Amino acid sequence: MSTLTRRHLVGSIALLAVVSALAACGNNGAGTADGKVTLTFWSHTHPPMVELNKKLVAEYEKQHTNVKVQYETIPNDQFGTKMLTSLSNGSGPDIINMDDSALRGEYLPKKLLAPIDPEGFGAKSVDEIRAKYNEGTLDGASADGQLYGVPSEFNATAFVINTKHFKDAGLDPAKPPATWDDVTTYGKKLVAAGHEQAFSFNYLHSGWYTQQLQTLLNQTGGEIADPKTLKEAVTSPEAVKALQIWAKLATGPDKVHDPNASSRDATSPFSDLATGRQSMAVVYPWSMEQIRQSNPDTYKELQVVPLPQVDPAKPVNRWYAYYWAVNVASKQQPEAWKFISFMADNHERWIADVDFIQPVKGWETSAAAKELPALDVWAGAYANGAFDTVVPHYAEIQDAVTEMVNDAVFNGVAPEEAAKKAADQIQRSLDS
Amino acid sequence: MAILSNRTSERSAEVDPADPGRRGRRRRRGIGLSRDVIGALLAVPAVVLFAAFAVYPMLRVFYLSVFDYNLTSDPEFVGLANFAFLATDSRFHEALGQTGFYVLGTYGPALILALVLAQALHTKTRGMGLVRLLYFVPVAMSWVAVSVIWRVVLHPDGLLNQALSIDVNWLTSSSTARWGLVIMSVWKEMGFFLILFLAGLQAISPDLHEAASLDGAGSFRRFWHLTLPLLRPVTAVCAVMAVIRGFQAFSPQVVLTGGSFETEVINLFVYKTAFENARMGRASAVAVLMFGALLLLTLIQLRAFRRRDR
Amino acid sequence: MSATLGRVLRVSLTTLGGLIFVSVLVYATLSALKPASEVLAVPLSWLPSTFEWSNFALPFTETPFARYYLNSVVVGVSVTVLNVVTCTAAGYSFSKFGYRGRNAVFVIILATLMVPVEIIYVPLYALVFQLGWVNSFAGLIIPAGTSAFGIFLMRQSIDSVPDELLEAARLDGAGELRTLVSIVAPVVRAPIAALALFIFMTNWDSHLWPLLVGADDAHRTLPVGLAAMQANNLGSAGVPMMMAAALLALLPTLLLFLSLQRRFVEGVTMTAGMR
Repeated sequence: MSTLTRRHLVGSIALLAVVSALAACGNNGAGTADGKVTLTFWSHTHPPMVELNKKLVAEYEKQHTNVKVQYETIPNDQFGTKMLTSLSNGSGPDIINMDDSALRGEYLPKKLLAPIDPEGFGAKSVDEIRAKYNEGTLDGASADGQLYGVPSEFNATAFVINTKHFKDAGLDPAKPPATWDDVTTYGKKLVAAGHEQAFSFNYLHSGWYTQQLQTLLNQTGGEIADPKTLKEAVTSPEAVKALQIWAKLATGPDKVHDPNASSRDATSPFSDLATGRQSMAVVYPWSMEQIRQSNPDTYKELQVVPLPQVDPAKPVNRWYAYYWAVNVASKQQPEAWKFISFMADNHERWIADVDFIQPVKGWETSAAAKELPALDVWAGAYANGAFDTVVPHYAEIQDAVTEMVNDAVFNGVAPEEAAKKAADQIQRSLDS
Repeated sequence: MAILSNRTSERSAEVDPADPGRRGRRRRRGIGLSRDVIGALLAVPAVVLFAAFAVYPMLRVFYLSVFDYNLTSDPEFVGLANFAFLATDSRFHEALGQTGFYVLGTYGPALILALVLAQALHTKTRGMGLVRLLYFVPVAMSWVAVSVIWRVVLHPDGLLNQALSIDVNWLTSSSTARWGLVIMSVWKEMGFFLILFLAGLQAISPDLHEAASLDGAGSFRRFWHLTLPLLRPVTAVCAVMAVIRGFQAFSPQVVLTGGSFETEVINLFVYKTAFENARMGRASAVAVLMFGALLLLTLIQLRAFRRRDR
Repeated sequence: MSATLGRVLRVSLTTLGGLIFVSVLVYATLSALKPASEVLAVPLSWLPSTFEWSNFALPFTETPFARYYLNSVVVGVSVTVLNVVTCTAAGYSFSKFGYRGRNAVFVIILATLMVPVEIIYVPLYALVFQLGWVNSFAGLIIPAGTSAFGIFLMRQSIDSVPDELLEAARLDGAGELRTLVSIVAPVVRAPIAALALFIFMTNWDSHLWPLLVGADDAHRTLPVGLAAMQANNLGSAGVPMMMAAALLALLPTLLLFLSLQRRFVEGVTMTAGMR
């Protein structure tokens, strides 16, 4: 070969070098070369929670100088997708923070999570950990008798009213609405007094649509689908009734808000309530703390009351929880559980700082809980709750539920018809 | 496509490696095979990237389309079940319909508007360059940024409703959401075709128009009988690109409606099926169908325009 | 007389239409400058009561916008450079050499021009994951490192470079790479510029792929980041910030377009000529 040729070869190789040099910058940076452990930890974006997570991570790193926790937040509407795809193919973080319906609907059936390691908690057995928590509250992260995580937040559902708006409308804040019909009656008076968004659900992503419908379904005794027979159930009279309650509040002569005018802000879902545009809302413990931080003036006018019911004689509530769990593909599971144990041990700070309730036995008698506004309402709400019924392909089914609610609320489709259309999609998802 | 391969075969006649003339020349130069080796090496980076990130995944799409695959467990062969599912799936059919609506609704008006405006803007009048620029500007902007802006324009209290004194819930109703997307997309895409048509007009000799004028042809007749036929090649290109661009729509739907209110186009359906619902096989089957449909559409379009050419 | 009238009518109508077209951008700019309480006010008021220039700092202080921006620049520039290099080299190779199999490879590349990239994302994602490139710049850059359009464009352009020019260089003892860099490239600098502009603009707009491979804040590009910010700031309080962010995001390609308008038009028409 002539020198000429060699030079050309060198040139071509240089070209390839550009490519491979670029390729080299593709490592994931989770190196443990210097004996340091890097844990990756993903959560959704709830600003007060993000702040506390960052604080606790910093404290943990200070205590454990060999550990670095890489904390990432993912926008709420992309959270499920990102988490699922990355866990599915074995990438993804060491530690995830995920809600119970996703855990039971997708992650656990797909065996993406590692069972809890009692050693990380300084416990001898899983039962020792279980014993710390209230009965039933770990069900959201359990499958086949195994436990896969501990709760970072455990939510019941309550209601909130703006006392100033109530007075404007000549209503007595001491007599909050006990039923959904009351919400309509009160709402019409509030609208007449100029508070046009008297009560509104939150029209955000499909997870929100589903959880709000579930709240109503729990009360009417309906279900989206039967987990045993894998048959859709949205066309059952109980389920249609739940949709009717929703649609009645948003459409027709009894409507008490304009769904088109509701804000659709997933990071501060209660911004209409917080800015004083909206008079009543379904809330969770964390919502109140978020409003207190963002809009302290409105917060003073708000009062937490029990959730309106279909049948006030038999009140039914809804539970949902987020759990810290560990990626089954993580190579640092013991370290990950140690970190989770640290996070869970701080349960009083979770109440004090962000109003996240972790259902350890006797949480309601802790010093932090005593500071919690409307503790009695919350404690009552926790007493009669239930987790959602979850079926396979839940993400797809949530899409169908969202379409169903949109049809009934925004498109003027009769709830029965909307349910029939959704039922078809849901059944197809379950069947395939 | 057809035009492409025609051209290629013309070219290969010119420089076919089997062409003895060329070989002879090469030998005469005395550098021998090594020169061609170097030449081939120059193509290696592109070819490697291409093979790995275009050809291989494309073949894999066809392969996966006959499997049930959720990324976690091993792919399970299901034959044509994915296609059978799609054939009866109303959500998929709706996505096809919405894509058709979006393509026609956006690119029909955009092409016609661009064609008409091109006639008006094809002039040497001073200052018109600046006016043209006003129409071109949206072309240079990213879809997501445009969509973020239009979310406010289409808000119930946004620019569009207030400027027209109407009260339409553009993005929260199945009867209007798709129109909101179309209005935005016409605004964004019109300039692209205007550029093409203006370039096409520039290529038409002004003498032709003058001659027609002298013959007493009015401006409309000149447009219909002279300009339009001469613009046919450009129009063909525009039509093909319109279909391809239309099928690629994703960002506006994601940002403005997330696919709610009957705006779930095919790309969004594929994205949700594959990455939200982890049904990779079914998503691949959609991709295969889309591949076939696009190929067919383009061939039909090119043939239609070429026939009339003659 | 009627010709003049016609011209006046034509100029004023097209100008009016153009102004309506850009009014959307004017509205966006003014909305970005308004106090949050004034956006979406009824009735519409174009001008803010006070110009809140600080709104343009909000994306940077409230979100990792600077990071998104930097990522987009890094990815955009890398992809552009990579494309210019690979496409020019391949174009030269396909145009001026006679090795066996050349045409076959070229035709295969051309055939993929028709395929929208979106449909191959499922297996492409799986591949990029296997390479360990999820959440990395490699995953964002390398799969976009060459393009069928670019290869075609460069081959067509280099075809028009006279062989005599190359012969002369070779007789002077220049190697093939030297010939490419110092003889061929200068002749086809206009198509190269058009290619670079095109690739950069397309990449700046790329949304779906970065959404899949750039999950974390550290690798999010502008479209992904902007869409995420949008999903999280839909309340009216977020409008000025979002408008500011959108305007900042479209600025680079808009400026490139305004300064290279002619190249851009050439580029678009070349894309057209290609089919």
